[in-house]
Amino acid sequence: MNQQVESYGQVVKQYIGNLPKGDGDWLSELRQKAAKRFAGLGFPHAKLETWKYTGIDGLLSQEFEVDDTSPEYAEHTVLQQFLQEPVSGRLVFVDGVYQADLSHCESAGVSIGSLHAAMVLADSTVLKKTGSLSGVGEHGFAAMNLATVHDGAVIHIAADTELKRPIELLHVTTRGAEGKALRSRHLIVVEAGTSANLVERYVALDDTTYFNNTVCELFIEEGAKLTHQRVQLESTQAYHMSDLHLELKANAHYHGIYAAIGAAWSRTSVHNRFSDQNANCELDGLYMADNGQLTDFHLDVDHAVPHCDSRENFRGVLHGAGKAVFDGLIQVREQAQKSNANLHNANLVLSRRAEVDTKPQLVILADDVQCSHGTTVGQLDPEAVYYLRSRGLSEREARRLLCLGFASEIIDRFESETLRLQLTEVIRQRIQG
Amino acid sequence: MLTIKNLTASVDGKEILKGIDLTVRAGEVHAIMGPNGSGKSTLAHILSGRDGYEVTGGEIVYKGQDLLSLETEVRAQAGIFLAMQYPVELPGVNNMTFLRESMNAIRRSRGEDEIDAVSFMKQVRKKAAQVKLDPKLLKRSVNAGFSGGEKKRNEILQMAMLEPYLAILDETDSGLDIDALRTVADGVNLLRSPERSMIVVTHYQRLLEYIEPDRVHVLVGGRIIRSGGKELALELEARGYSWLVEEAAA
Repeated sequence: MNQQVESYGQVVKQYIGNLPKGDGDWLSELRQKAAKRFAGLGFPHAKLETWKYTGIDGLLSQEFEVDDTSPEYAEHTVLQQFLQEPVSGRLVFVDGVYQADLSHCESAGVSIGSLHAAMVLADSTVLKKTGSLSGVGEHGFAAMNLATVHDGAVIHIAADTELKRPIELLHVTTRGAEGKALRSRHLIVVEAGTSANLVERYVALDDTTYFNNTVCELFIEEGAKLTHQRVQLESTQAYHMSDLHLELKANAHYHGIYAAIGAAWSRTSVHNRFSDQNANCELDGLYMADNGQLTDFHLDVDHAVPHCDSRENFRGVLHGAGKAVFDGLIQVREQAQKSNANLHNANLVLSRRAEVDTKPQLVILADDVQCSHGTTVGQLDPEAVYYLRSRGLSEREARRLLCLGFASEIIDRFESETLRLQLTEVIRQRIQG
Repeated sequence: MLTIKNLTASVDGKEILKGIDLTVRAGEVHAIMGPNGSGKSTLAHILSGRDGYEVTGGEIVYKGQDLLSLETEVRAQAGIFLAMQYPVELPGVNNMTFLRESMNAIRRSRGEDEIDAVSFMKQVRKKAAQVKLDPKLLKRSVNAGFSGGEKKRNEILQMAMLEPYLAILDETDSGLDIDALRTVADGVNLLRSPERSMIVVTHYQRLLEYIEPDRVHVLVGGRIIRSGGKELALELEARGYSWLVEEAAA
C-alpha cells in the first residue's frame, strides 16, 4: 500500500505541477495542502473503524489514471438520460467534464456554472467556499479529490427564490472513462428563505470501469429549504465515492433522498454538523447490492446546538453475494437540549451469500432529548409469499412484489416521477435477473 | 368439482386429519363446522397448498386433477381461492397493483389477454362498492393497518375479482360485527352460481343464516362425524357440539 501511496503521490504532484497558472493561486495553495494531507494519511485501511468492512484493495488494484481528455460521445445518448419533467436548470457532466452546450438555466435567481470555469476565471467567491466545509480531507480519497480536482458543479440560488421545478445535475460516463479516476467537486449554495429541489444523478452509458471520486458541499442558509434527490446508478464495473458535507443555518431544512444501486463498489458519506438552532435534516436512503457489489453508507450527524431535528431512514436489499455496509452515527452534545434524532435501518437479505454490516450509533450527552434508533435484518416473510402465491402469482413474482414493496417506502419519497419509475424498473429487473 | 377421499394429514408429526371424505359438486355450498382445534383450518389450508402440512394418506381430486401434486399458485390459477382467517399485511405492496397482478397471472395461465387498465378500474370500483370497502383502501398497501372487518372485505373483494371455481372461506365471520357480517355474506351470495362451489368453514351457525348451505358437515377430532342439510346447523346452534361428540364416541 505504501508504494501505491507514493506512486499516487507522484501523480498528484505532477498534476498540480502541470496546471496552467491561470487556475487561480488561491486553489493551488489548497491543492498543495491537500497533497500533503494525502501523503500523510495514505489510503484508508481496515484498521480504521469507519473502513473496517469496506475494503479498497480492488479499487487500488485497478490503478486508475488521472487523465482529463475531453470526452467524445453521441449527443442523443446523453439527452436520453435527462429527466422527463421540466426543470429549472440543468448541468451536465460527461466523464467528469462540464458540458456547457448541454447545460442551461433560465430561472430567475439561479446561477449555474462549472468549478473548472471558476478556476480559470479565478473566481474568488467560489474558490474561497471550495473546501470550506469539507476541509482538506478526512481520508486519503477526499484529500486526493481536492488536490487533483478537475471540475464540478457550481450552483447558486439567490435569497427568497421559490423554485417549483428541480435543478438537474447529471453526471454521465461513457466508454471514454475506462480506466480513469474522475475527480469532481460540487458546490451548492441555497441562500436564505429559498426553497429548491436538486436532482443529482450518476449514470453510465456503458459497462465501463472507472473511479468516480466526488465531494459535494451544500450550504443551506437561514430558513432555506433544499430537497436533494440523489441517485447513484453507475456502471456495475465502476467505483464510486461520494462525500457530502452539509451546513444548515437556523431554520434551514434539508431533505436528502438517496439511492445507491449501481457500481461494483460505492461509498457515500454524509456529514452534517448542526451549528445553528431549529434546523432540520432528513435523510432517506435505499441501497441494493447483488453479486460483485459492495455498497456503503456512512452518516455522521452531529447535534452541536439545541433545538435541531434529524431523521434517517435507510433500507437495503441484498441478494446474490451482495454486500452492504451501513454506519449511522448521531451525536447529541451536552448543550444540544431539545434535540430530536431518529435513525432507522432495515435490511432485506434475500440470499444466504449476501452480507450486511450495520451499525447504528447514538451518542447522547444531553438529557432533555428525544432520540431513537433501530435496525433490522430479515428475510421475506414466508406467510406473505404464500399469500401472494395463493392468489396465483408465482414464487418469483411474489418475491419481486414484496421486495418492491419493501423498497417503495424509500422510492415513494422521491418527488420526481421519472426517478420513481426508473428506480422501480431497475429494481424489478435486478430482482428478476 | 371436488372429491376428497380418506384424507389424513399431520402438522409437526401430530395427526390432525384422520380420514376425511367429502364431495362438493358444481354450484353447491358446503359448510364445515366444528369446535376449535378440530382440523377445519388445516383442511382449508391443505386445499390451498400451504407449506407445513404433511398429507399422509388419501387423495383430493379437483376438476379431474390430482390437486395435491399442484403448486399453490397453480391451484389458484386453476380456480381455487382461499379467503383467509388472518389475511397477511403486505406493507409497500399497493392493493390495486396486487389485485391486477393476481388477475393477470391467472389470465396468463389460461392463455387469456391481460386486463386493460380501464376495465380493471371499472371492475374494482364496482366490486369494492359491493363489499362496502372504502375505495381509499384500494390505494393503500394490502391489508396494512386495515381493521379486522376491512381485511375480510378485502378478501371477499379479491374473491370477486379473481372469480374462482372453488372458494373456501376460512372463518370469514370471525371478528365481524353483524353489519360487516351481512355485507360479507351479501358479497359471497352475489358470487353464487351454478359453476361455482363454496366451502364455508365456520365455528358458529351465525354466518349460515346469511349464506345458506346445501350441506353441513361437522368436523370433530379430524373426522367428519355428521353430515346433513342446513337444519343440522340449527341443531348445532341449539345443542352445541358435545352431544355429537358423545354419539360419535359411542
